[in-house]
Amino acid sequence: MDVVLSHIVKRFGHVLASDDVTIRLEAGRIHGILGENGAGKSTLMRMLCGVLAPDAGAVVVNGRAYDRLSPEMASGLGIGMLTQDPLDFPPLRVWENFALGGGPVLRRAEARERLAEACGRMGFCLFPDLPVSSLTVAERQQLELARLFDRDVRLLILDEPTTGISPAQKEALFTVLRGFVAGGDRQVALVTHKLAEARELCDQVSVLRQGRLAGAFAAPLDTPAILATMFGADMAGDASAAPPSPPAASGGGAVLLRLHEAVVADEKTVLDPLSLAVRPGEIVGLAGISGGGQEAFLRGLAGIAPVVAGQLSVAGEELAGRAATRFLRAGVHYLPASRMEEGLFPGLSLLDHVRLAFPDKRGEAGAVFASRCVGRFRLTNAPAVKAASLSGGNQQRLLLSLIPDDTRLLLADNPTRGLDAASIAQIWDHFRDRAAAGAAVVFFSEDLDELLAHAGRVLVFYNRAMAADLPAAGLDAGLVGDLMTGRAAPGVVRP
Amino acid sequence: MIAGRAAPLVRAALVLALALGVTLAIVFAAGAPPFDTLAVMAKGGLGSRTALLRTLSALAPLLLCGSALCVTFAVNLWNIGVEGQITMGAVFGLSLLRAVDPAGALPPDAAVAGSLVAAMAGGAAWALIAGVLRTHGRVHEIFSGLGLNFVAMGISLWLILGPWKRPGMASMSGTEPLANALWLPALFGRPMSLWGLILALAAYGFAVWLLGRTFFGLTLSAVRQNAMAAERLGLRPKRRMLAAMGICGALAGLCGGVLVTGLYHRLIPSISGNYGYTAILAVLLASGSLPFLPLACLFFAVLTVGSIQLPLELSLDSSLAGVIQGVLVLTLFAARRLWPAAGPKGGA
Repeated sequence: MDVVLSHIVKRFGHVLASDDVTIRLEAGRIHGILGENGAGKSTLMRMLCGVLAPDAGAVVVNGRAYDRLSPEMASGLGIGMLTQDPLDFPPLRVWENFALGGGPVLRRAEARERLAEACGRMGFCLFPDLPVSSLTVAERQQLELARLFDRDVRLLILDEPTTGISPAQKEALFTVLRGFVAGGDRQVALVTHKLAEARELCDQVSVLRQGRLAGAFAAPLDTPAILATMFGADMAGDASAAPPSPPAASGGGAVLLRLHEAVVADEKTVLDPLSLAVRPGEIVGLAGISGGGQEAFLRGLAGIAPVVAGQLSVAGEELAGRAATRFLRAGVHYLPASRMEEGLFPGLSLLDHVRLAFPDKRGEAGAVFASRCVGRFRLTNAPAVKAASLSGGNQQRLLLSLIPDDTRLLLADNPTRGLDAASIAQIWDHFRDRAAAGAAVVFFSEDLDELLAHAGRVLVFYNRAMAADLPAAGLDAGLVGDLMTGRAAPGVVRP
Repeated sequence: MIAGRAAPLVRAALVLALALGVTLAIVFAAGAPPFDTLAVMAKGGLGSRTALLRTLSALAPLLLCGSALCVTFAVNLWNIGVEGQITMGAVFGLSLLRAVDPAGALPPDAAVAGSLVAAMAGGAAWALIAGVLRTHGRVHEIFSGLGLNFVAMGISLWLILGPWKRPGMASMSGTEPLANALWLPALFGRPMSLWGLILALAAYGFAVWLLGRTFFGLTLSAVRQNAMAAERLGLRPKRRMLAAMGICGALAGLCGGVLVTGLYHRLIPSISGNYGYTAILAVLLASGSLPFLPLACLFFAVLTVGSIQLPLELSLDSSLAGVIQGVLVLTLFAARRLWPAAGPKGGA
């Protein structure tokens, strides 16, 4: 199958998400769509699978041009997409999810038979009667892949497929993809912002930057040239440079955060009792796959999920079982992963956010906004604008600027998710500044490479328990990945 | 910029025209001459000095309850229980007057003022029941409010037919009328004391100030926008919701107190007289925006008063006014979906 995206243009309001992009996807190859967050990769792929309609241009499949595709037409043509968050029905069983979507619904016996056949072909192990909500992200991906393969997809699009899975699971996925294109008549489009993945897997890549096709490369891929294309010549040096080494866990000093046999109970999960001490100046990274318990742990530290047994103290103040406002008063602040849904007021102005966060200084909110939000945190200088119109990077800058300076313990859930390179660099710099000033930072990132690059200490979670507590220096991503997925016993590596 | 400012006006005109068109069609379908019907209602509400005074009498409770409801809408609470809060305000206000009346313990002016304060306390308490059920019992305020409306009506009926019945005979016409000294001074207001309108305007001014000028008002819109983010910032959204319910209930209770001391001078069955529900419609018509609220309240007051003329002049049932009110608001909402505003609209 031969697929060409021809002179595609797509606008969202004032933003030109795709600006005259032409990409040819050839049969038998794995094609990388590379670019930093916000470059327009996902938008382009959504037009290819019929979710969005282009404003201009056409999708040409086997010589026939389509002004726009519907999802039904796309799947009829053999185009299927594995989205970043699997599009499945968590309460339904595995075989029920397999039976739905892409043509007529399969009967039970037939669905189970074809699921077993697809799994056998690709080396997956999925139990048909389990509810999908009990699967890991990697297993849900496999289920989607099995369904797409069963419906005879010719062009498989994957949007950031390695987010939230371990390195070993990633290797398994890549093997499946190589096998998928080996026959020579099918192709894969891999959307990613990670150059290393593209180098490992892709035969050719197209690099997008600010909606434009900035360059095209064929394997073997040349790292400096691609980075310069992705970020522009001036940013490439920053992006490729290794981050400054994270502060090492200091041996001495008073303990800032202490947990003793503390049991965190989140809405759906209860963690095993855990004990821990974190000192000022530490940057602690939490590693774990979805369902490992790291997010619940983070919310427990913030006072959002209650600590129902054991002790949790911050700077000597016992907080277990206290209200979240007590945690705030003790200097504990939480940066949520879903910034707009959990952290901001979409219809209120940026200035109102400053008033709400610093009620004592609300008389001089304008001055605080100018000096703190714009001056120190480089937020866009538009105090009257509503938060709903902020970009992801500006949302995070606003949230960071609303956290008071005397914060002792800063908790962050996926602080860089979906952000551009400049914003990401700023966030890590800011965390290092906070740590240097005597605060402790605890964060969770789904990106294991990022986690190991920026944490001084790594806590690995598996199966709702802390599996290991490791110094980050010289830590191997493969080992952490094995701990995250339960492939290595925690006792072996406990220092 | 001019085009940008004119666009919402054009949109509003289109929406209103459609609403009016549908309303006229319904009136026509009901077998009434559409334009005559409107003319009769307008004349009945505004056509003479008496009509105007009657309209102002209806405007006072509507504006009081409308201002009250803007406070709960600011925090995204649907205080359907406003009818019950009016009723309980009337009950509390009257109970204080009944307690001091025979004893003569208070000068009459102080007794009337005290009864209004008691009415506010009664309304606030009734609203807080629904509020606490929402914040601590996970019962939606629409359901608890509706239920409490029936309870309040039951209580008032029981009082009228039981403990507070007229000497010798229980009557659905209400309790024994208050002594003249315990009425709100009329101040040329007929049938309702002009004090009702003064208090309503004061309540409206209070709501404008509270929601637009104070930090408390800002926190209310923060909770409305995103309760979870408000929780994360330590703004205690549950307490804000309870405070908004309490304030709304107090103003609705004041409305009940004014109806007792300024209009009926006794407790009658269904003393709330649907003012609460009509005020909800008025707030919806003004889409929760305070600047338009008085206009919307006035519009419904004219409709309510003017419809009394329908049976007299056109031999139509006066319930047609209710149909017109409902159809108008419904069409307005449907039309807004047809022509949505260009950008996200600001709150009150």
